[in-house]
Amino acid sequence: MRDFFSSPTAVVGTTLLVIVLTAALFGPWIAPYDPQAFHPIARLQGPSAAHWLGTDQFGRDLLSRILHGAPATVAFGVFATALGVGVGSVIGVIAGVSGGWVDSTIMRILDGLLAVPDLLFTLLIVTMLGGGMEHALLAVAVAFTPGMARIARSAVLSVRTRDYVRAAIARGESGFYIVSCEVLPNALSPIVVEATIRVSFAIMIGATLGFLGLGAQPPSTEWGLMVAEARQFMFRNPWCVAIPGLSIAMAALGFNLFGDALRDALDPRRSH
Amino acid sequence: MTPSLNPAVTETTKPALAIRNYSLSYRTANGIVAALKNIDLTIGKGQTVGLVGESGSGKSSMAWSIMRYLPPNAVEDGGAIRLAGEEILDYTPRQMADIRGRRMAMVFQDPSTSLNPTIRLGEQIGEVLMRHRGLTKVEAMQEAEAALARTGITRPKEMLQRYPHEASGGEKQRVVIATAFACEPELIIFDEPTTALDILTARQILDLFNQLREETNVSALYISHDLGLVSRVVDEVSVLHKGGIVESGRVDDVFRRPKADYTRQLIGAVPNPDRWIGIDAPANPDPLISLETIGVHYNAPTMLQKIFQPKEAEKAGFWGAKNVSMEVRKGELLGVVGESGSGKSTIAKVLAGLQDFDGKLQFDGKTFGSRKDIDRAYRRRVQLVFQHPDASLNPRQTIGTIIGRPLKLYGIVPADKVATRVAELLEMVRLPADYARRHPHQLSGGEKQRVAIARAFAAEPDLVICDEVTAALDVSVQAAVAELLVKLQKETGTACVFITHDLNLIRQLAHRIAVMHHGALVDFFDGPDARADDRDPYTKALLDAVPVHADMEAFDVA
Repeated sequence: MRDFFSSPTAVVGTTLLVIVLTAALFGPWIAPYDPQAFHPIARLQGPSAAHWLGTDQFGRDLLSRILHGAPATVAFGVFATALGVGVGSVIGVIAGVSGGWVDSTIMRILDGLLAVPDLLFTLLIVTMLGGGMEHALLAVAVAFTPGMARIARSAVLSVRTRDYVRAAIARGESGFYIVSCEVLPNALSPIVVEATIRVSFAIMIGATLGFLGLGAQPPSTEWGLMVAEARQFMFRNPWCVAIPGLSIAMAALGFNLFGDALRDALDPRRSH
Repeated sequence: MTPSLNPAVTETTKPALAIRNYSLSYRTANGIVAALKNIDLTIGKGQTVGLVGESGSGKSSMAWSIMRYLPPNAVEDGGAIRLAGEEILDYTPRQMADIRGRRMAMVFQDPSTSLNPTIRLGEQIGEVLMRHRGLTKVEAMQEAEAALARTGITRPKEMLQRYPHEASGGEKQRVVIATAFACEPELIIFDEPTTALDILTARQILDLFNQLREETNVSALYISHDLGLVSRVVDEVSVLHKGGIVESGRVDDVFRRPKADYTRQLIGAVPNPDRWIGIDAPANPDPLISLETIGVHYNAPTMLQKIFQPKEAEKAGFWGAKNVSMEVRKGELLGVVGESGSGKSTIAKVLAGLQDFDGKLQFDGKTFGSRKDIDRAYRRRVQLVFQHPDASLNPRQTIGTIIGRPLKLYGIVPADKVATRVAELLEMVRLPADYARRHPHQLSGGEKQRVAIARAFAAEPDLVICDEVTAALDVSVQAAVAELLVKLQKETGTACVFITHDLNLIRQLAHRIAVMHHGALVDFFDGPDARADDRDPYTKALLDAVPVHADMEAFDVA
């Protein structure tokens, strides 16, 4: 971890992440305008002194809308991932530790679920549950679970046959101690790294659902929804599509690069 | 001064390889680390020079420097490497590519990783011949067959068609050697060519090496950590220590009259079967634990298979151990010897309760019929030390936690005394008490193994199983670890099962020795009777294969 910031990936990733997280935490307070306030005389404008990032079809200030939308968008990504990773890891660890038929049964079911593409799977769930942010979040979490379970299981499997785990078995340790003190601490880093990378996917899927009208509902300032709403005015003012689009890209890239850098830094061959 | 070290001679005959004042270092996160310091080494035509050193001494860096294949963070700090008088430090990568394989070849430690698993062996040899000697495919194959025949492979034509996984370790190493000799190079670098092989196979490869050297008159650099082995094959030897050559000269001189302290220390550390370092045999030979017809069937057929396909089920899997019966006496040191795959580690796993088994295990009046019967009381009294200390210590725990765990688990000392006891245990294995706060990666291999031993003895066991505990360590560290074990045995009266492939070492320690072969116990005898006439032929073969330098047997350590 010492030389984490020696790689350009880490620096860029962390910088982007700091910008996005700042917007997510303080956005609503630093926004110059009310995100829902119409400015009828200043519709579909490009960047100007009054509106730094321009305005949309109702003359709403894009910067304010982006800043207001940041908490919802980022929180969506983070919570959906946390839920998916949490449930997936538990399933994966159970499968990895128990082995035998428990493992086979769990993994075959998950393989079946993995065969369905993430987005399609999410769409199916949202269609069944009905739209809205909470349902979209749940859908993304469910879609992430099989993949995370696989990663958690393989991490556990690679640790489970290590000699220090065998030493614990030979000592007569309880199963709980072996899993919580010997296996998990050593299996955690791939799970954490994968989780960071997945936040970016979650943000993108969330935005996609918003764009398709299945996630957040107007007049929400969720970024994906902003792109969808502004789509028909794209040729009159490209800014109102480009700005939320770029914001999504920035958040996704930030989490992605940070996750990559974290993976390199946690790699035992590189540290020490 | 030997002839080849004499500058006047080297200038006229141009040695096969001359290294002059060569230094190499690596750029790492912790700054520049020197790997080689002012190396001077000369290999005359047709000569074999040994380069002996422990891990981290820079032997492999030397090999890669000569091959001009260094990692990007390597920094060369001047000097010269001349191949038959030509300065190869100035060569372009393209020129070097032309030299590698044709004028210089290398034989690696592990033949299973140095051969490409997806290419037939014949093509791997033929490739070199086609690339460097411009042969056609047909000619190359004929030549490859001849090359394999020279290395003593019985059916070379068949071998050409095989993939690496279809050949044994020894056969693979023969193929690698055949490839190295294929273009009749001027220099061959052997980087521990027998370390990854079994004793008997290693012996054959060594004999092959000597035979080929005589036939081809090639010059060779033989890199090894094993002094006894090097003394058998080389003319001259250089001892490498922390990147510098501390001593070089004719092999007999170096071994008989070592000048440098380090060389003396190295020679002293080589296990010598005639020097007993173990404790006295226990007075009353009461059995502590006995194995009765223990069998371990790997990939055993399932119940369904047995019912529906009884014929296939018979042949399914293989027996890791079959019908093994022996007993360990209280306070003794029992050696278990065998090659890899002989079942010696299987026995260790059975004793440690890590492996399902058939048969019975009797311990202190109790009988265990399967792994699931084994209780915590047994597990406390029988402790296991693993081969690789890197793998057996949890990297996320501190040494204090690791050693303290058995104390807490079995309630050996009250919770508030654990730290004190850990400090005592560290002292027992001759480590400073403040190591308790460190993590395993901050320790060297030998220190880690001491921690693993301390953890085993923390449980105050009756039996400690040492599964190849010295195999992953350097020679000098090996000796220290073996001595430590003996000291602990003396202090605690614990019995020990010492599993190893090193017959010289075990004959220094063990009261009784069991020899295993293909999962069966083939021989079982008292330590001093190792050379007796009624030994099993396999035992005799093993004993004969172990390299002991004649002069070293006579060498007095004092």
